[in-house]
Parts: sequence; structure tokens; C-alpha cells
Amino acid sequence: MIKKSLIGLGALLVLFPTMAFAADEGPSATTLDMGLNALWILVAAILVLLMQGGFILLETGSTRMKNAGHVAGKTIFTVGLASLIYWAVGYGFAFGGDAGETLNKFIGMGNFFFDPSILAGEGESYPSTIFFVFQLAFAAVSLSIAWGGFAERAKLSVYLIFTVIFTAVIYPIIAHWIWGGGWLAADGSQDYAGSTVVHLTGAMAAFAATILLKPRIGKFNKDGSANEILGHNQVFTSLSVLILWVGWFGFNAGSAVSVGEGFFGYVAFTTQLGAAGGAVAALLISWLVKGKADIPTMLNGALAGLVAITASCAYVEPWAAVVIGLIAGVLVFLVAQFFEKVRVDDPISALSVHGAAGIWGTLANGFFATPKLVEQVGVGKAGLFYGGGGEQLWVQFESVVVCGAFAFAASFIVLWVVKQVIGLRVTEEQEIIGLDLSEHGNYGYPEAMKKAGNTTTSV
Amino acid sequence: MSNLRGEKRLLDITGAGSLEQLRIVRETEQGRLIASLPDVSVIEAVEELNGLHDALIRRALELAEEEAARLGYGAPPVPYAYLLFGSGGRSEQTASSDQDSGLVYADARDPAEAERAETYFRVLSERTVQHLTALGYPPCEGNVIASNPAWRLPISAWERKLDDWFSEPSWENVRYLLIVADGRCLAGDAALAERWKNRFFGDMLSRPVLARRMLENTLRHKMLVGVFGQLLVERYGEHAGSLDIKYGAYIPMVNVFRLLAVRANIRETGTLERIRALREAGLLPAETADEATEAFALFLRLRLLSISRSEDGQWIGTGKIAAGQLDVSLRAPLKKALRLGRKLQRQLEREMQHRFGGR
Repeated sequence: MIKKSLIGLGALLVLFPTMAFAADEGPSATTLDMGLNALWILVAAILVLLMQGGFILLETGSTRMKNAGHVAGKTIFTVGLASLIYWAVGYGFAFGGDAGETLNKFIGMGNFFFDPSILAGEGESYPSTIFFVFQLAFAAVSLSIAWGGFAERAKLSVYLIFTVIFTAVIYPIIAHWIWGGGWLAADGSQDYAGSTVVHLTGAMAAFAATILLKPRIGKFNKDGSANEILGHNQVFTSLSVLILWVGWFGFNAGSAVSVGEGFFGYVAFTTQLGAAGGAVAALLISWLVKGKADIPTMLNGALAGLVAITASCAYVEPWAAVVIGLIAGVLVFLVAQFFEKVRVDDPISALSVHGAAGIWGTLANGFFATPKLVEQVGVGKAGLFYGGGGEQLWVQFESVVVCGAFAFAASFIVLWVVKQVIGLRVTEEQEIIGLDLSEHGNYGYPEAMKKAGNTTTSV
Repeated sequence: MSNLRGEKRLLDITGAGSLEQLRIVRETEQGRLIASLPDVSVIEAVEELNGLHDALIRRALELAEEEAARLGYGAPPVPYAYLLFGSGGRSEQTASSDQDSGLVYADARDPAEAERAETYFRVLSERTVQHLTALGYPPCEGNVIASNPAWRLPISAWERKLDDWFSEPSWENVRYLLIVADGRCLAGDAALAERWKNRFFGDMLSRPVLARRMLENTLRHKMLVGVFGQLLVERYGEHAGSLDIKYGAYIPMVNVFRLLAVRANIRETGTLERIRALREAGLLPAETADEATEAFALFLRLRLLSISRSEDGQWIGTGKIAAGQLDVSLRAPLKKALRLGRKLQRQLEREMQHRFGGR
């Protein structure tokens, strides 16, 4: 094979002797570097967009058949709507560079109705088009996390309104604070790929929504005890976790936004360890505490490991990545039980997976960030266990509290207003027959649902 | 005092000429027994309660016999024995147990008599089951009941059936054999019941491997205690926070001692009697026997306290004990009892693994 190629090459050289000198006139090393970055970031962006497939299966598998078409389909719709809004204004608020110094601490300005140059400019390490697509995919992920708190009872119109406001304002402001040169970035807040920016923000929106919407019919009894509303397809849920897991390599390793010396490989490596720790710990803890190894808990554990390692993947050593994942797996189990106890209905476990693990992952940097990796990334300081003292931990704590509080308050206000004006929730009858029928006119599983629908309305 | 009351109750029952009267006796006596529960030992209470149930069932059977005679079916054409299975067979019924029963009758001398016997016992069993339902004993959901022809056979047919079950130990058949193991003669011809039980034990002792099949059939009911010694309570639904005493404590314990007893040819059907007999036969260390007795008595007590409700005139037990009733003074002994049960269960498992290999 090699021999044949060499012969072929030799023959070509004889025929076209100028080819040997072509490199002199080809792309410069800078252009090649830019091209490689661009290629990787676009691949990463596609992987992150593919995570929507994970969310579709996660949310559908964790809910009931009568809502399947609605739950799955609305994700595609809201990704479409979010793209338009993010293009029009969201990206500008997050990354626009025209704001004055004081205003820029809080929000970015410029680049509205983003109209990028078609090629990478001189000295840019990647084209801004690709950066936009990558960032857009993140905004869409945060939004899909929020839907966990709306599941199985919110009106379709509420999805529409909330998509607009969340993608235009709420998410971009937090993204700006930490990634867009805002005030938390200035403090050295370490959130590599968005445990706080993407996951905690989405989870807080879900939290506000689930509080205002109130629990699904039949979730809690009068005496406060909970009923188990099982998702209709554990195979979907498992597959969703695999898709999300794979997509997460784009999410975390893509956040290196460069190929360079291959640091993104290290990020991918710690990501895998964190996810693995979460899955293992969650299955074991549920087995030990409940006496049965619970599959949904294990799946949530894998996701919690991924969420937690998202902030810390570039800052911590391999052993710490494992510890962060293991703790996230246990945490997700305990927090899910806590929310059930306080009668908060969290159908997709958004609060425990993205909220609790997002907080933990962000704080973990304050403990585990190493001087060497901090230097590599160039953000913040080393953590408590590496001689950095409590300083970084405090910054991490501050970002969690401030971003969490802002995301919650903003979402709560928006949804509260919507609730007063048009209402958030479908009627009891609509909820009982299912949103497939009430919001869209057709079941996601027509054959399966028709039979039941004829005999009883309480499908 | 309890003797006097017992005699009076027996008189009430044997004197009762109608189901209404019997039902009133059941309600008042049961109420009194439950009310006295905190003051008497649970073992005595269970004995007394089962004495009450036995007397009621016997009387219901007598009334059915009288009715059959009135309807022109005459007297029993051949001797028979009315059998109790399940908790009735073990004399461990609660205030809300269902009917698990069967019937065995002597072989007829000719086909005409066989046909007459078949008709007679069908009528008798159906009547009895109806009467007991009227007294608030719900029929067995698994259809292990005398009115089901599968559990009402002449002795030779019963013997063939037992042999078949033993030679084809499928999951279903092993389940039947476990039911038969707890069978007890409530009324009728004791010698006939003895012959029926002899066949079971003869088959059982000639096939030691059946013990493993029996164990496998019962292992899915685990003691509800976790690795950290925590109680594994119900997590969801209207009984969230309650402990499934029936299937998570009582039944696993019953299963352990049933298995130990039947393979040692111990004929007792009650769990406490089985423990005593195993100890006397030197098959259970005295200390373990004492601990097991104590643990089982606690399970019986909690089972009597477990949630029951009245539904269409039937007493239905959930076998679960509410979280509120599990106060601190009960938790520690309960955990200890559950751990003992788990230890015994594991010992049996390991022994079977050792003797017959893994599967």
C-alpha cells in the first residue's frame, strides 16, 4: 500500500515537478492553525446541537405516553425559535463588545442581528461564524434544561414566550458575566464549559417554573406523600444519556476553542472520568439505601457527573475528576429525594441533575483547581487543596449564588407575569387527556393511545 | 379469665344458628382481642385469635353441612377433611386474613358413589366459602380455595397430584407444594388428612433437591433492611413511609422455617412450633431459636397492628405498618429482628449453593 503510494507520488513528481514546491505558496501556519481550530469548534458545535436529541429522548422517556409527541416535538420548535432570538439579540447581549466599561460589567452590546464576516479575519484564531454557532448551541442546551420544570402541564404558548425571554435576556446576561468579559469574569470565576452558566441557569428556570406551575396531577397525595409517576420508556432515557454523554465531548472539549497543543484532549479525558464516577456512584448509593439498584437514578448520576465536571474539566487532576463525579452521583440521589420531600415536582430531575450538580461542579474548582492547570487556562487561582487558600472557593461560591439567584428571580418574575396575564398551565381536563391531544390534536403514539382513549378519559 | 371467656365464646359460636349471629361474634371478639393487644403477650393473642377463626370456620362448615342435608344432598357420602392453607394453615391469621382452603375426601367404592361424592363436596365447599365470605373472610385471590375443584379431590387423586408436582417441579408446581406444606386439617377425618400429609413428606424426603427449588421460589421476598441497617420503607403512594411487614419481614421468616422444617420431616405448620421442633431435634442452636422466636413474635405483633380496612364488608389487610406506629422503641428491636432474618436467609442460600451448586 505504502509502496504503491510512493510510486504514485514519484510518478506525479516526474510529471509535475512544480508540485514539490507548492508548500511555499500554500496556507501559512497561522491559517492552518485557524483552520484546525475552526474545524474542531464546528464539530464540537454540531455535537452540542446533537445533545438536543438527548434531551428529546430524556424528557420523553421520563414522562408519560400521552405527552410524548408534545414533549419531543416542542424541543425542535424551541431550538428553532431560540436560534432566531439568539441571532437577533441574545448573542449581542452576551458577547457584543460595544458597551461602555461600566455597562459591560453587566451586559454586552452590539452584534445584534449578527452579520458576521464570511471568513476569519486577520489574527482571529477562528471565524466568528463558527463561534456563533457554538455559543448558540449552548444557549439552546440551557433552554432545554429549563423545560424539565415545565413538563407535562405547561401550555404551548408558555414555551413560546419563555423561549423568547430566556434566550434574549436571561441566559445571555449570565453568559456575559462569566464568559463575555462581565464582572464575574473579572473576578476570575472558573466555569470552563458552563456548570453554572448553562446548567445552573437552566435548572433555576426549571425551578421557578415548577414552583409556579405546581406539581402534576397525582404526583402528591393529600397527606404529603409522593406517588411515583414512571416515565414511559427507560430505553429512551438510557439512550438519551449516551447521546448526551457523547455530545458532552463537544460541550467540554470544544470549550477549549482551539486545537493548539492538544489541551482539549485533556478536557475530554477528565470529562469521561467525571461521567463514569457519577454513573457508578448513583447506582451504588440507590442500591445501598433503597435495597434496589434504580436505573433512572443511575442515569441521572451519569448526567450529574457530566454536569459537575463541566466547570472543572480543565482545572483538575484525573483523581479529582473521579471524586467530583462520584460525589455528584451521590448528591443527585439525595437532592432528588429532598425535592420530593418538600413536594416540588421535578419530572426530569432537572433540579437535582443540573442544579445541584452544577453548583457542586462549580464549587469543586475552589477545592481542586491545580496551579499548573490554572496557568494553562489562564483564569482565576488554584483551589483550597492546592495552596490557593479560600479565595477561589469564595469566587466560585459568589458566582453560584449570584448567577443562581439572578436566573431564578428573572425566570420567576417572567413566569409570574405570564401566569397573571394568560396562565401557565393547561386545564385539568387537558392535562388528563394529555398535551399531545390538547396542544397538537394528535397523539405521539396514535395506535397505543386510541384504544385507551376510547374506554376512559383518565389516560 | 381468658379461659372462661374462651368457653363462653365457643358456646356463642356453636350456638349460633345464623351467619348474622356468627358475624356479630366475630366482630365483638376480634375487637376485644385487638383492644387487649397491648396487655397480653402477642403469642397468646395470636393463639386466641386463631382459636376464634378456627371455631368460626368449623361452625360455618357445620351450617353448610346442615344446609346440604336440607337441600336433599344427605350426609357426607364418604369421610372428608377440610384443610386450611396459608396463614390459616399456620394458625397465624390476623384480623383480616383471607380464605385459603382445600378439601380431601375418601375414595369412593364405585363410580356412582364417586359421582355423588363429587356433587356433595362441590355443594358443601361452595356453601362454606360463601358463608365465610359473608363472615368477612375474602376468598383467596390465587384461587387456592375449597370451592375450586383443583383443591377439592379424593385422596388418591390428591396423591397423584402431589406426585406430579414433585416430579415436575416447575415454578408454579413448587408454589403449590409450598402451599401444601402449610396445610392443616381443620375439621373432619384427621386420619385422611394424615394420609394426605404423609404423601407430601414421603415425596419431599426422597427428593432433597426440592429444598433448593423451594428456596428459589421464596427468595424474592427479602428482609426489608438495608446495608446500613436502615429500614427499607415504601417510597411512594398512599402508604409512603410504611414498612411492608407482611412481605418484608413475616413472610421471609415463615419461608425460612418452613423449609428447615419440611426437609427435617417436622410436621408442625406454625412457625413458632417449627422453631421449637427444630430446636428439639437439635437442628437449630438454642440461642438462635430464642432469638428467632423473639423476632417472629415481634413480626406477629406488628402484623396485627398493620393497616387494615373494611371493603364491601370484608376485612382487607395491607400487611403494612404506618410510619407513625414505628416509634423509636420499636425500631431497634425491629432492625435486630430483620437482621437475624437476613442472616438466616443467607445461611440457607449459602448451604443450598454449597450442596447443589450455583445455577
